[in-house]
Amino acid sequence: MTDAMTLHASSTAEMIVCDAVDKWYGDFQALKGVSATIAEREVVVVLGPSGSGKSTWIRCINRLEAHQGGRIVVDGVELTNDTRNIEKIRSEVGMVFQQFNLFPHLTVLDNITLAPRWVRKVPKADAEAKAMELLETVGIPEQAEKFPGQLSGGQQQRVAIARALAMEPRVMLFDEPTSALDPEMIKEVLDVMKGLARSGMTMIVVTHEMGFAREVADRIIFMESGEIVEVGTPEHFFTNPTEDRTKLFLSQIL
Amino acid sequence: MGEQRVTSTSTLASTQATKPPWYRDTTIVKWFAQVAALVLVVGALAFLAIVGGDNLEAKDIATDFDFLNINQGFDISEGIDSDPDTGGRALWVGIVNTLRLAVAGMFVATILGVLIGVARLSQNWMVNKAASAYIETLRNIPVIVQIFIYAAVLGGLGRLTADSDFLWGLGYISAKGVSLPRVFVADGFYQWAVFLVIGSVVGFFVHRNRVRLQESTGRITYPNLWALGVLTAFAIVGWFAHPMWGFLSGVFGSIGDAWDSIPQILMQLLLSALVVFSAASWIRRFLDSKRTPAGLAKLTDDDIFRIIFAGVGGVIGLLFLMVLWPGLSSWIVNSGSDFWHFLADKFGDGRSGQPVDAMMPTIEGEGTLLKYGPQGLTMTVGFAAMFLGVTLYTAAFIAEIVRGGILAVPKGQSEAASAIGLNRAQSLRQVILPQAFRVSLPPLGNQYLNLTKNTSLGIAVGYADVVSIGNTLLNQSGKALSVIALWMLFYLACSLSISVVVNWFNVRMKIVER
Repeated sequence: MTDAMTLHASSTAEMIVCDAVDKWYGDFQALKGVSATIAEREVVVVLGPSGSGKSTWIRCINRLEAHQGGRIVVDGVELTNDTRNIEKIRSEVGMVFQQFNLFPHLTVLDNITLAPRWVRKVPKADAEAKAMELLETVGIPEQAEKFPGQLSGGQQQRVAIARALAMEPRVMLFDEPTSALDPEMIKEVLDVMKGLARSGMTMIVVTHEMGFAREVADRIIFMESGEIVEVGTPEHFFTNPTEDRTKLFLSQIL
Repeated sequence: MGEQRVTSTSTLASTQATKPPWYRDTTIVKWFAQVAALVLVVGALAFLAIVGGDNLEAKDIATDFDFLNINQGFDISEGIDSDPDTGGRALWVGIVNTLRLAVAGMFVATILGVLIGVARLSQNWMVNKAASAYIETLRNIPVIVQIFIYAAVLGGLGRLTADSDFLWGLGYISAKGVSLPRVFVADGFYQWAVFLVIGSVVGFFVHRNRVRLQESTGRITYPNLWALGVLTAFAIVGWFAHPMWGFLSGVFGSIGDAWDSIPQILMQLLLSALVVFSAASWIRRFLDSKRTPAGLAKLTDDDIFRIIFAGVGGVIGLLFLMVLWPGLSSWIVNSGSDFWHFLADKFGDGRSGQPVDAMMPTIEGEGTLLKYGPQGLTMTVGFAAMFLGVTLYTAAFIAEIVRGGILAVPKGQSEAASAIGLNRAQSLRQVILPQAFRVSLPPLGNQYLNLTKNTSLGIAVGYADVVSIGNTLLNQSGKALSVIALWMLFYLACSLSISVVVNWFNVRMKIVER
């Protein structure tokens, strides 16, 4: 009974804990003591001017960049130099990139089944069935046999989302997923992300899409110069921000 | 206002109506350029041939190839025949030596180059610097200097004596080179080969089956090991059971006899039909590829040229077979029958010995004039110096190509591979190397061409390659033009073969884009 309780508690409360995370590139400090806690099923949108450390922060969360100070704990596993921890966290955290980063030499289906087959050793037929389901979810099952180079930007980004979902992650990180897209394709990607948020996925989204932030986010984190300046609900953030820097940012983009 | 509009329409109308002068009409200019180019090329070749022929005649330089059929009476230090009985045979020994060097060189240089290229990208300081030092040293010293160095070092080995053996007499090493046991094809080999072929086919199906099993269950099923096991089993059984195929001798013999009875005219007609058919089907496929749902697309002048050339090619082929060289057909008939009779002979009676045998190296001669006997497989100092020279030199360039190929794969690719959970090795194998290989292939082909051409330096250290032997033939017969023509033909054939293979890979591996 108590075991079940604690398990339940630990899985609902804190999915990602960042505690005073520091990151330097040479002399330049990209993250200055970033602390944040993200709960399970929460959707957090990270806003901020370019160069404010948004991307660096979420890239630290699945160890594409190593942090040099503070702690990052994902689902009870701390990110250290231990490769076993890194592998465990990476298989629980999916990531979608600005430039899609699909594998151009593999078909859409092979892109999606690559990790399940090689990392999880899922039988090919099962992996492909699952991939087709995911393509159905993102709305492009008819493109399964094509190569990434034959798809539009929006279609490629949806394949990238399906590829990340194929590992059944508990957290999804989005690093400016619509910034490289033509305006008419942004909506199709955002729609997929909204559906994912409604299904209860824990998400951290770095984006410049204010409409998406206002509609979908549970909380908005505003960063500048490697620091978290302000945290709050979309309502608070867009109508009644407290910090001057937030007000300045909003006045420039709205 | 109204007036202006009227003027502008009338200008448009007059522009449409005017036909450009003929020298600005693209259709006419294009046809004219094609025909002119053809006339120029044919004219230039004819001119060169006539002038060259006249000059050669005036200076009394012979251009025939008689020397290929005459015994030139010189020995060759290494190769498939140390005492060839004609000039042609001598040249053939040189060709085999060149190919042996080039193929072995490409093989080893590729493996070494890939290893060093990957090492140069290593995070490990020692490995990284060692690879850099290798590359910077070897590619900045001319290859001929390196070959001389290796030859000098290897030439400093001891004189050949009865005590030059190593590995308990398995081989000899001295300044005359290395001699090792020679493994050769013996009596029962062809019967045994039948077992190997059957084993390969069965192994192929077993392999496919195991792969399917792995895909459907996710269990690791070791398909390669299984296939290898099947082949080994067949090889072992065949080693003892191979005389059972002796009856095939009769079968092959009858096929050969049947082939022999094909009249020349029949073969001529068959081949002609083949030529006409392939030209016709090429034109048909070409037209098919131009067909759109709305009907045949309008052919451009280029397309028409291609069709005309295909037609002309077919007619030339027909003329060639029926009139110019009727001997070709009978040659094909004869070689076909020779082939079957050859097989019949190889499967013939009394061939029940073991399939493969080996001979120990020996030493011949007296006193200070010792040399290696023909029994062992001998690698001379010349070969070793050439092999080390071209291989190590080319490996340095291949390493740089491999490094460039890996660096050309965007960083996002390895990040994406890590993000979906692949480890470093899986990411290299599944994501990075397949893409790096595609980038590296064309420059890799160039390195193979360079390596092949560099083997012609063999003359510098007395390696009996095609240039070195051709040079001897040239000096003995004086037929410089003939020998040079044969050299050019040989290296051209090598280069074209390599290009064809590399291009074939390149097209096959191309990443699909819209």
